[in-house]
Amino acid sequence: MNARIHRRGAEGQRSRVFSKTILCLSAPLPLCGKIFGTKHALFSIGFSLLLCLSNARAVAIHVSADPVKDEPKITEKDREHWAFKPLQTTPGKTSIDDFIAPQPHADPATLIRRVTFDLTGLPPTPEEVSAFILHPSSFESVVDQLLASPRYGEHWAQWWLDLARFAETDGYEYDAERNRAWQYRDWVINALNNDLPFDEFVQKQIAGDLMGDETGTGFLFACPDMPDLNNQNERRHVLLNDITTTVGSVGLGLTVGCAQCHDHPYDPISQADFYRLRAFFDNTVLPKERKPLGPSARVFIEGVPASTVFVRGDFKRPGATIQPSFPRLFGETPPNSDRATLAKWIASKDNAIFLRTMANRLWQQHFGQPLAAIPGDLGHQGEAPTNPALLDWLAAELPRQKWSLKKLHKVIVMSKHYQQVALPRKRLTGEMLRDAMLSVSGQLNLKTGGPGVKLPLPKEISDTLLKKQHEVNPDATEHNRRSIHTFARRNLRHPLFELFDRPDAQMSCARRNESTTAPQALMLLNSEFAHTITAKLAADLNATHGSDATALITDATLLCLSRQPTKQEVEAGQKFLQKQTALAPDFQAALADYCLALLNSNEFVYVD
Amino acid sequence: MHTAPTTLSRRRLLGTTAMGLSSVALSSLMAESRSHFPAKAKRVIWLFMHGGPSHVDLFDPKPELIRHAGKLLPESYGTVETRRKVAQNPLLAPVKLFRKHGQSGIEISDFLPHMAGIADEMCVIRSCHGDSVNHPQSVYQMNTGSIQMGKPSLGSWVSYGLGSENADMPAFVVLPDPGGGLKGGPPAWGSGFLPATYQGTTMRAGDNPILHLQSPQSSARQRATLDLIQQMNAQHQAKREADSELDARIRAYELAFRMQSAAPEAVDISRETEATKHLYGIDDPTTKEFGTRCLLARRMIERGVRFVQLYSGDTNGWDAHENVMKNHTEYCARTDKPVAGLIRDLKQRGLLEDTLVIWGGEFGRMPMSEKGVGRDHNPWGYTTVLFGAGVKHGHVHGATDDFGLRASEDKVHIHDLHATILHLLGLDHDRLTFRLNGLDQKLTGVEECHVVKNILA
Repeated sequence: MNARIHRRGAEGQRSRVFSKTILCLSAPLPLCGKIFGTKHALFSIGFSLLLCLSNARAVAIHVSADPVKDEPKITEKDREHWAFKPLQTTPGKTSIDDFIAPQPHADPATLIRRVTFDLTGLPPTPEEVSAFILHPSSFESVVDQLLASPRYGEHWAQWWLDLARFAETDGYEYDAERNRAWQYRDWVINALNNDLPFDEFVQKQIAGDLMGDETGTGFLFACPDMPDLNNQNERRHVLLNDITTTVGSVGLGLTVGCAQCHDHPYDPISQADFYRLRAFFDNTVLPKERKPLGPSARVFIEGVPASTVFVRGDFKRPGATIQPSFPRLFGETPPNSDRATLAKWIASKDNAIFLRTMANRLWQQHFGQPLAAIPGDLGHQGEAPTNPALLDWLAAELPRQKWSLKKLHKVIVMSKHYQQVALPRKRLTGEMLRDAMLSVSGQLNLKTGGPGVKLPLPKEISDTLLKKQHEVNPDATEHNRRSIHTFARRNLRHPLFELFDRPDAQMSCARRNESTTAPQALMLLNSEFAHTITAKLAADLNATHGSDATALITDATLLCLSRQPTKQEVEAGQKFLQKQTALAPDFQAALADYCLALLNSNEFVYVD
Repeated sequence: MHTAPTTLSRRRLLGTTAMGLSSVALSSLMAESRSHFPAKAKRVIWLFMHGGPSHVDLFDPKPELIRHAGKLLPESYGTVETRRKVAQNPLLAPVKLFRKHGQSGIEISDFLPHMAGIADEMCVIRSCHGDSVNHPQSVYQMNTGSIQMGKPSLGSWVSYGLGSENADMPAFVVLPDPGGGLKGGPPAWGSGFLPATYQGTTMRAGDNPILHLQSPQSSARQRATLDLIQQMNAQHQAKREADSELDARIRAYELAFRMQSAAPEAVDISRETEATKHLYGIDDPTTKEFGTRCLLARRMIERGVRFVQLYSGDTNGWDAHENVMKNHTEYCARTDKPVAGLIRDLKQRGLLEDTLVIWGGEFGRMPMSEKGVGRDHNPWGYTTVLFGAGVKHGHVHGATDDFGLRASEDKVHIHDLHATILHLLGLDHDRLTFRLNGLDQKLTGVEECHVVKNILA
């Protein structure tokens, strides 16, 4: 199995330090080649390797010297797995609430905060909160406005960029910048804002160059790359396997990448299936030493090596030649199929696993938890959905809504289930936290598009970079732009994002980790960023309300928490301001401390 | 005199992931017996010589290389994969004289007079090998077992497996070279697919050892703000059902507050004696910087940090392509005395008995010359030196071929080295696992590897 299988923090709870002897398949590709080619020459002949799993099942892995000849047939039993079956319909059920019994309704303040963060990544303004509390029946028009706002695409783009393992640099030693990588990011934002039909959205990222819109194919080349690798055949091999793995995981919700060195140990995907899927992309990658990839796909006519399998996944051991084909599990591939055929087959109304995968991810983004617990793997090693009928209904809803993602969002947020009082709390991501802090202090720069902004970094961090890697955008107003527009360096995430579990863009990430650590607290308590925010907040509040503690506390609470303070909170706040003024240089500084407390509070960081 | 282990593990206090709550609960139950079997080493200091020190000029004498200097590598050695196409270059004799040292008679070159003085403490592994001729891939492999970016580092596996011995300090601390520019960057000490809480925390000498550690406010003023935060959090939680996530965040703030005093105390060397400072070379401008970090490493482990990693070398570091004599003269001068001082200091304090110290780079260097007097990367055979807990002293393990090109006897792959380090810490590399994509991942990967039993004391 390959190193680039997407990460899944959600499985932390199943980890066992003390579990019994387990072999894992984590050797990355080139390493597999090294190991099985030289270190253990024995392994190069075909045989079966027994894997002991934690639940004491043993699975035979077929290691073949001729993966095409030894390819196992797909059986009817193989197709019986829930995720491989056609979507099941449940007669008489037409909405989410037909599948889940509705719970009591949330209060308007909770609801407006929830839906605004959910659809735009930003908190509602106090005016929006007051207006909604006066007219709670206006929920639908609030939702329509949020979906129509450019803030929607800016927020939801990060969800997709996590899946695309997107960064604007190569990674590895030189971590060179990809000067046009931002164009793909803007393409994603605009596609979401324009509600580009979702099938087209996916298709154009796989084969947009064959469909008259090449920018989306930046998806394929967003991976890490080592242009100075001394063997460019190895580089090409690693890149193509990454692309294939990512397309398999994002588009099919399967760990296709597990089949690059041997047949998939659990799902009916053979090693030959993997290289047949890869063959669709073989003519898009022909790297030149020290030359960067992309930014978008093109088809090379000359100099493209014949498509083959690779024995043990070793780039030095090409095997039998093969033709581009869909994984056999999913049926026949039409003759003369190219990448555009593949793209249209993946994102089609007849591809149940694609629809399920996307519906599951959408549910996760709205509710914090997916319906099938492992969103990057709906195969045998994944988890069955907790509510299979609902997942299938939602999956079918995507083409039914004419592939409009916005309509699907609306179906979800208009459900009683979404509007209930007790949804699982969602923690803001690092990007959302930063945007929210800039927003409540009235400093968010809403300029859209263009090259990523290089934020100032603490000296301790910038000192660890190579020369020319820590240039900062000279225009300070740019530093207050939304997080989606900040420069995404693969080897160095911004500390605020990294501390709050932004994935490392090494492989497709379908679900982020959520860690809670002391360094996060230090960042929000002590950083220059946090104190700049609270100083501005305090200055603005002070200018409006003077030293009227009740008005200050009320406004600060409305701004930061989208609700009125309780009487108890006002009293506690007054007491704090009085005492803190003695410890701080002046009243305004004490007020800034009050705001700092609000921004550090659990209520600010977790959305109900 | 290290801090006694506390029942409140760092994982309990510092590390809760939303999804990892059950594992946190599990770990706190098991805080008393985390290891798989009794450990010889309780903690690790890893002195990482970034860029690749030359084994054939430091720890691996090769008389044949002197005899064949200026000639080509014999054809019987076959094709050699190199980074800079040096396979056809003439062989370069060791640029320094080797001598036998100590009762063990271990041969060490004149580049390292101070380390030569602790030869009898050394376990010299001359047969290490890895899989890539490139820096970043090799830095990753030495740290994570994998030549690809993004896997969990050894330090993060150890802190995941064992936690910290001090609730106020991170379990895994990295002291980077102040010159910066590590090839491959921070992913070298990253936690990969393990929760972020297990990644290395970078610390520096001076007033601000951890990012954002220093409050811009007085302690009393910050405490008052923190009290208000916790008051808000208590009210927030009271209105909601019991939630360990919210609870974890409340505790993380208290830990952060304590770290603000614990971490600066850990890096404050003002009360160390002049004799100690001299031992580490802190009184000499050449050795002051690395000596200070070596002393910090001792102070960290005294305070219960489980795993400390120091890097020597900026973006070029020990990477002696141009001129081995010039490069290694400079880097040995900076590090030789501090390393020897650290080992002597650990020994005199009784810490060497249960502390493992590792000295080595991401690879060694080629016997062939580059540009006449330099040497290219060599992952096929090189030296790593271990000191302290659980390993033989005054001992040499394995060998490279006659020219120092490839490991040839008792070979130790990086995975074997990792398995051995985990073993010394009481962890079985086959049982220290993390579930990802339905499979239990481990540091040493899929292929067979072995604890190097012959070096165990």
